[in-house]
Amino acid sequence: MAKQFQSAKKNRMINNTIVHIVLAILAVIWLFPIFWVVLTSFRAEKGSYVSTFLPKAFTLDNYAKLFSDTTILNFPQMFMNTLFIAICSCILSAFYVLAVSYCLSRIKFKLRKPYMNMAMVLGLFPGFMSMIAVYFILKAMGLTEGNLIKLALILCYSGGAGLGFQIAKGFFDTIPAAIDEAALLDGCTRWQIFYKITLPLSKPIIVYTVLTSFMGPWLDFIFARVICRANSDQYTIAIGLWKMLEKEYIDSWYTSFAAGAVLISIPIALLFLFMQKYYVDGISGAVKG
Amino acid sequence: MGRSLKRFLAGIMALTLGAGLTGCGNSKSAAGAEKVRLMVWSPSEDQSKESGEWLQTMCKKFASEHPEWDITFVYGVADEATATDQVSQDPDASADVFMYANDHLTNLIDAKAIVKFGGKYKEEIESTNSKELLNSLTVNNEIYGVPFTTNTWYMFYDKSVFSDDDVKNLDTMLKKGTVSFPLVNSWYLPAFYLGNGCTLFGNENDESKGVDFGGDKAVDVTNYIIDLASNPNFKIDADGSALAGLRDGSVSAMFTGSWDANAIKEALGDKMGVTSLPTFNINGGQKQMLAYAGSKAIGVNAHSEHMEQAVALAVYLGSEEAQKSHYELRNVIPCNTELLKEPEVAADALVEAQNDTFNNTSVLQPFVAAMSNCWTPVENMGKGIRNKSVTHDNAKEQTEAMNAAMNSNGLN
Repeated sequence: MAKQFQSAKKNRMINNTIVHIVLAILAVIWLFPIFWVVLTSFRAEKGSYVSTFLPKAFTLDNYAKLFSDTTILNFPQMFMNTLFIAICSCILSAFYVLAVSYCLSRIKFKLRKPYMNMAMVLGLFPGFMSMIAVYFILKAMGLTEGNLIKLALILCYSGGAGLGFQIAKGFFDTIPAAIDEAALLDGCTRWQIFYKITLPLSKPIIVYTVLTSFMGPWLDFIFARVICRANSDQYTIAIGLWKMLEKEYIDSWYTSFAAGAVLISIPIALLFLFMQKYYVDGISGAVKG
Repeated sequence: MGRSLKRFLAGIMALTLGAGLTGCGNSKSAAGAEKVRLMVWSPSEDQSKESGEWLQTMCKKFASEHPEWDITFVYGVADEATATDQVSQDPDASADVFMYANDHLTNLIDAKAIVKFGGKYKEEIESTNSKELLNSLTVNNEIYGVPFTTNTWYMFYDKSVFSDDDVKNLDTMLKKGTVSFPLVNSWYLPAFYLGNGCTLFGNENDESKGVDFGGDKAVDVTNYIIDLASNPNFKIDADGSALAGLRDGSVSAMFTGSWDANAIKEALGDKMGVTSLPTFNINGGQKQMLAYAGSKAIGVNAHSEHMEQAVALAVYLGSEEAQKSHYELRNVIPCNTELLKEPEVAADALVEAQNDTFNNTSVLQPFVAAMSNCWTPVENMGKGIRNKSVTHDNAKEQTEAMNAAMNSNGLN
């Protein structure tokens, strides 16, 4: 009996060791490119090609260059442009997604099914398919010049958000309708139910929605490129980073490109770290019975 | 939470509105002068303070030379390659005057986005530029831009390794030092094929003549490149490896253009040599490598509301004076024939190399639409040779396959 127990424990140990070794290898493979980008961002040697994996010397100049050498590629401005656009469209689209999901989950109306089918079908097409049309519509509205480009981009990124309701709706469906009914009996309006009861119960999905709707505009290249055109003061970081790799710039900007890549991950990382605690099941403590 | 969100949104609205309105402030014009708004696009270096704000300076000078017009300039950033796409995509909302690379000239013409130059302007352009250069901007005997520089690649080398005689022949160079060439880049690789008598559209932009990269002449070249790739003194240049090699001394010669000149100068210092392309030995004879060459020019948007002023500005930005300033501020190699005669410009090895290449060791890069089928097959050939999947045994069929692919648009 004791021996059998011993061997089961041993087996488990062997299994765990193998699993951990495999996981460690996978983790190394996955993290390798990120590690390399971080190393490159501190590399003192110039140029886009190196023969050694580890830099021969380290420097902070690549970061300094991003913020001091702004006459050709104005990184700080691009960063602020993108941050502004991303925050605005994040708030707007998170609101759209949650509102649409809530309606589709709680309110029964005639067009509910057709709307959901339509959203499903529309969602099958990639968004950039319509980018030229979107560009000309925005141009007709006079939104493709000057600071209005920011507004145009915010509209682009948040406008279609209502179609991405599926996950949030699925989550709202799991919140018992009885809670809503109780609130209704107590005299709550639909809106009050939404933000006083449903939202506090849905922290994980709110976090998820906010994160995805922040990252979309933060990383988007296609729409920014089509809409910004020659207005360099409106460029977003995606365009800026892409420019750094053009043949005229790549040799002197490559290491700064890596530095920029590290910098743009900071807001996303911060947002995630800040919101991570809400990812833990938000519903378990609140609903009793 | 609801209220602060609302306040935040209102704040955003106010901000965007305010920002939009401030853009509308209008300046009063001087009495009598015609009010003109010209949008000008150029690469960002032309407008940066560090490199002397070439564009702004030139535009101001232009305005002061024309007191009869009260011009407001609006500057936008679009490099020569981007401008072609942007202008042909939406000429209506594009610059009146822009700089473009000639390889997409047909796109601009097809989009009816670019004007022909005529009359005194045409004469002025013709009298100050070489025939070859004008050909690069001529379609059906009409000139579509004011050239301001040539666009091609040539050879940079380390003078302490190669003598002036060595650099005339690639095979001689390979015996003395390491040479790096971007074999896997289809802007460079055709140099060998073109050198051995292969042609693209008759080398005169005639689409009906098709691509002739087949037959023994092409197979010989493929065989030559296979040997070249296996030469221990030869390194394939990819992802900036040649420039890194020049820096650490493992490479002594490379092929690139003026955009890398400053970095190479920094790496080699006084040892930097630059010259037009060398010859190579094939079947006992010497053949001249031939680069693709094009030009960069200033074009005028066909949708411009102020055509007269736009054309005058384009011609001014491509004039001798503007080119000289461009050269001094940003090292943009001039092409104005008068300017090239000036001793200070003529003594510059880089200028000499680029213009020698343009005039003698290059072919005009075709800009017919079918040219777009020619890039990938050549690149695949280069990659095949690098991966050793193209060998002496299958060189013939691989070359014929490349030729067939270049002649096909993939549909028929």
